Amino acid sequence: MAKTAQEKLDAKAEKRYNKTHKRQYKLTPGDIVFNILNYTFFIVFTLCCLFPFYYLFINTISDNNLVSRGMVNFIPRGIHLSNYTNLVKSSEILQAFLVSIGRTLIGTALMVLASAFIGYVVTKQQMWHRKFWYRFLVITMYFNAGTIPWYLNMSMLGLTNNFMAYIIPGIVAPYNIILVKTYIESIPGELEESAFMDGAGYMTIFRHIIWPLCKPILATIAIFGAVGHWNSFTDSLILMQNAPQLYTLQHRLYLYLNTTTNLAALMQSGGGNLEGVMQSALNAKTIKYTISMVSIIPILLVYPFMQRYFEKGIMLGAVKG
Amino acid sequence: MNKNATGKEKTAGYIYYVARISALLLVFLIFFPAFNPAKICGYVNKNMSLFTTGISYSGLVEQCTRAFNMGWVQESSFVLLFISSMVTCIGIAATAAMGCMSLGNVKLKRLGNWFGIGGGIASLLGLGGIYLAYSQVAQTIKPDKVMPGYPLQNNIIFFVIAALALVSSVAVQILLPKAEKDAKYEMESKFKLFLMFLPFALLIFLFSYLPLYGWRYAFYDYTSGGTLSSENFVGFRWFASVFQNAATRDDIVRVLRNTLAMSGLGIATSWCAMAFAIFLSEIKTPWVRRFVQTFTTIPNFISWVLVYAIAFAIFASDGFISSMFVNAGIWSEGVNMLQSGSHMWLKMLAWGMWKGIGWSAIIYIAGISGIDQQLYEAATVDGAGRFQKMWHITVPGLISTYMVLLLMSIAGILSNGMDQYLAFYNSNNIDTIEVLDLYVYRAGLVNGSISFSTMVGMVKSVISVILLFAANGISKLVRGESIV
Repeated sequence: MAKTAQEKLDAKAEKRYNKTHKRQYKLTPGDIVFNILNYTFFIVFTLCCLFPFYYLFINTISDNNLVSRGMVNFIPRGIHLSNYTNLVKSSEILQAFLVSIGRTLIGTALMVLASAFIGYVVTKQQMWHRKFWYRFLVITMYFNAGTIPWYLNMSMLGLTNNFMAYIIPGIVAPYNIILVKTYIESIPGELEESAFMDGAGYMTIFRHIIWPLCKPILATIAIFGAVGHWNSFTDSLILMQNAPQLYTLQHRLYLYLNTTTNLAALMQSGGGNLEGVMQSALNAKTIKYTISMVSIIPILLVYPFMQRYFEKGIMLGAVKG
Repeated sequence: MNKNATGKEKTAGYIYYVARISALLLVFLIFFPAFNPAKICGYVNKNMSLFTTGISYSGLVEQCTRAFNMGWVQESSFVLLFISSMVTCIGIAATAAMGCMSLGNVKLKRLGNWFGIGGGIASLLGLGGIYLAYSQVAQTIKPDKVMPGYPLQNNIIFFVIAALALVSSVAVQILLPKAEKDAKYEMESKFKLFLMFLPFALLIFLFSYLPLYGWRYAFYDYTSGGTLSSENFVGFRWFASVFQNAATRDDIVRVLRNTLAMSGLGIATSWCAMAFAIFLSEIKTPWVRRFVQTFTTIPNFISWVLVYAIAFAIFASDGFISSMFVNAGIWSEGVNMLQSGSHMWLKMLAWGMWKGIGWSAIIYIAGISGIDQQLYEAATVDGAGRFQKMWHITVPGLISTYMVLLLMSIAGILSNGMDQYLAFYNSNNIDTIEVLDLYVYRAGLVNGSISFSTMVGMVKSVISVILLFAANGISKLVRGESIV
């Protein structure tokens, strides 16, 4: 939109005013000291948050000999990508990666669909005993039976050593449902009513009105759900005791970090190539770092997209259902 | 019910209650291993319900490989058992569909009744198939290994209920008038909405309420793979053992001390996130603020295993710090700082801060931007300094958010999760790192004392709920608003 001449003049005047206005406040020595300390603290802390990621990364792409001698600390040297390409050759890691990706995609998709649908259904006042069912749902956030009964229950339902154990229990997520419900309640009711008058059923209204309008909140819960799925490892640890082919990537990483025997097995199982490159025990360090990096990269890749949504999400979360 | 319904329709309405209750009972019963009618020999896992028997053949024959190879039982009997269980499950699903459709108009009800009739017949056939499979298995040459045994009681329960559902479906089908020719399948919207929610209600029941049924293990002396019976019922012995058995008592005291200390430290430092937000908002260069906010939030999104991986990269014997010192010639060899068990509480607090502070600060940052700017301007005019403004304007503006979060964290004082401690624990630091959740996991799933750890978890859950209600009560009293 083109600005009118008056608006341009106003903007200029405002800028000029701001400039002179700012000059009126001189920084006192106390302000300067405070600013230096404050900036220093935050920049140092941010670097503390960033450096470990950077350190891991440069160690995975640098010359493995230098890495094992601890010579790569700040700048990468002898850059190569063979650590990553070799890791792909290990069927164990590849499988764990696929399991993690699979559970994240399927689990998140179903969770989002279910949350949107349940969120919509529980906003309908005419539902049979709505209050009771809504409480039946929400109250589950505040208690849990404990790890062992949960495990026994899962094994009773046949969900041990079974990929579905990652998916089915996560479909109904009360907290996310509350977020969606709160969001739907903020949508003007007339929209739905007019569609209802035109003879649309609940399903049609849900698909063509509620779903598109809820997209921002659904994106928010999708992101949290996906991160949760990607990061979770206790379910893999507890439920998949006899199914190593269903371990998640996080679980694999946990095993490699904790036990050298697992790592040795990996180095042998990886076929000729892996053995060739990673035969030295010292290279265990590189392998650990590379697997860590592989687990972190997906999070870092979606992080820029997440950022837009999570601030909104956390604020909505503060409004209770 | 229709007000001017005929006598026949009224009777049908009452019979429908029987049909619906039977359907509901059947749906619940298929998830309970104790009521599994397909448990026909020792090879069928005692923890399998009819539902699992009917959907997972591999689970059913898990322990049978040897028996098949030796010819003790025919694999065909197990296939028969599997198919019969599946048919029963499908029949029960159809009966459930009948129960749902009975909420509609006459036309829908009549269709539903066909489902009920078909489902009832299928369930009965399936139960017959199970009996057939049993009679085959019973002819085994090795009864002492195979241990055939017909779960008569369970079969009678299922048979009676399924027959009841079948009979009532037939009865209502006869009683109900024929629907008008041009009628449509219809249902009142309140029932429609309820039925949309019903599948999810079932999921909620299965994964959130059914585990509570597992609390009964706390009253038995249960070993993995065993059964619960009057013989191993021990009443409150596990509860008493916490006070009577010295070793157990010491363990619990140690674990509780760790739990309370680490939660307590977390609560005592929870104001740091608020301070972080306040001081961050004092940075007036927008891109620096954005930069700090962006990158201090990242650690919140990686799992505790990855945090441990990072700790490993920095503090292990071949990590960053060791290689720096070794290369500088200060240390002769690398030191694995993660192995040491000293100052565990503080270290865990530090990692918790590293991971969480940027994230926790977001809600306060949002709170600060919601504070009226005129307050600051007025304070400046009155000659208030930077810290005075923080203390007298910003902090009061954020304190109610802080109080809510504080109350929530006090309510969760026993549940500090186990991921963090599981990732960081090792044989050197276990004494000072083991929290209640980790202890329950290790006692129950690593060391196999299922009953004892169920008891500990149960007490923990009950106390947590009480704490939550207490926190809620305090919040209502002080702020006039509930937090749950």
